[in-house]
Amino acid sequence: MVGMTAAPGQQTDRELVTRVATGDRAAVRLLFMRHHARIYRFVARQTGSDMMADDIANEVFLELWRQAPSFEGRSEVSTWLLGIARFKALSMLRKRKEVAIDEDAAAAIPDGADSPEVALMKDDKAAALRRMVNALPEEHRTVIDLAYYHAKSVTEIGEIMSIPVATVKTRMFYARRKLGEALQAAGFERGWP
Amino acid sequence: MSTDNNASEAMSRRDELEAMLPFYLNGTLVGADLAAVEEWLGADPQALAALEEAEAEFSATAASNEAIRPPADALSRFSRTLEAEAGPARAASGSSSLARLWDRFMAVPSGVAWATAAVAVALVLVQALVEPGGRGGPVEIAGTEQGDLPFVLVTFKPQATLADVSAFLADQGATIVSGPAPGGIFKIAIVATTGAEYDRIVGLIAAQPFADTVTKGRRPENGG
Repeated sequence: MVGMTAAPGQQTDRELVTRVATGDRAAVRLLFMRHHARIYRFVARQTGSDMMADDIANEVFLELWRQAPSFEGRSEVSTWLLGIARFKALSMLRKRKEVAIDEDAAAAIPDGADSPEVALMKDDKAAALRRMVNALPEEHRTVIDLAYYHAKSVTEIGEIMSIPVATVKTRMFYARRKLGEALQAAGFERGWP
Repeated sequence: MSTDNNASEAMSRRDELEAMLPFYLNGTLVGADLAAVEEWLGADPQALAALEEAEAEFSATAASNEAIRPPADALSRFSRTLEAEAGPARAASGSSSLARLWDRFMAVPSGVAWATAAVAVALVLVQALVEPGGRGGPVEIAGTEQGDLPFVLVTFKPQATLADVSAFLADQGATIVSGPAPGGIFKIAIVATTGAEYDRIVGLIAAQPFADTVTKGRRPENGG
């Protein structure tokens, strides 16, 4: 995860998890400070709900507190936390039946009062692209978020989303193609597709 | 479920390179993939334009995420909750992952004849998955017939018993193929050829008293 590398003299995430496993509350607070914002944003993007993001992000770190002894360092700590967060978010969404998680589920993040057409006319390309990223289907936007914002590898994204590596690549391909097509449809030049 | 699971054959080499650009930018591309992208960037003038597009997506995604502001009092509220928590669950000294798994959800009532074939298969799979190298965590079975089956992700309630789980697995032909992942998540393969059949079985799982959370995974495309 970007920005999560321990500075000189600072304990690594894994070292902190080892401390957490011994019951060190200060260590879990340190991990909370390092990772909470990104976990919160990840869940907010998944659910479109600040309240759910708040609840689930807290639960993720409580899970870290409870399950630290079982963490064996096979993954980065941030990858482990994102995997827990995604599962909890999907579970809560299904329980509440608020959002269908499928190809048609668009991002639920509200962003302004203008219609998409009016807003696009007013936007520059960067703003339009932000809107288009937000409007990607959930499974595509999550791959984009995990690669671009959370700096995760193909393998790590597969682990977080419980999907094969090949599926990560094809989802990235279609996500980027949809962004390109949307940009072209809005009148912006795009080299690909 | 997306149709892109089976779309890799339709991707051209150029498409594959385009799909790898985000991982080139985030610094996680390695080995042959990294070499291929670097060679492409050095040889094809269009590649640099493509890299600029990826950089724009990078910036847009970062901006969209950074615009989300977590509550300012999140740490203090979490700290209060944390103080009320007992200490972390201790790994049982000297016990295997399988033993801990048994402790977790297999509180077998004495005298229960639980050794059905389905359970035996499931437990062998679970043991094979959690034992090698003493590593638990999320794992996949490569090259097994379960790898291509529809699946569902399930967590079990603490009071779930082996009898409950085994009876259901035997009746439905379902099999635990991996787990436990973080959070106690198990991946259960389901023998279903249609989406409707898959939905029916997932619904049955969700209705079981042993099931805590149920999350759909791979679902057959046909039949709804």
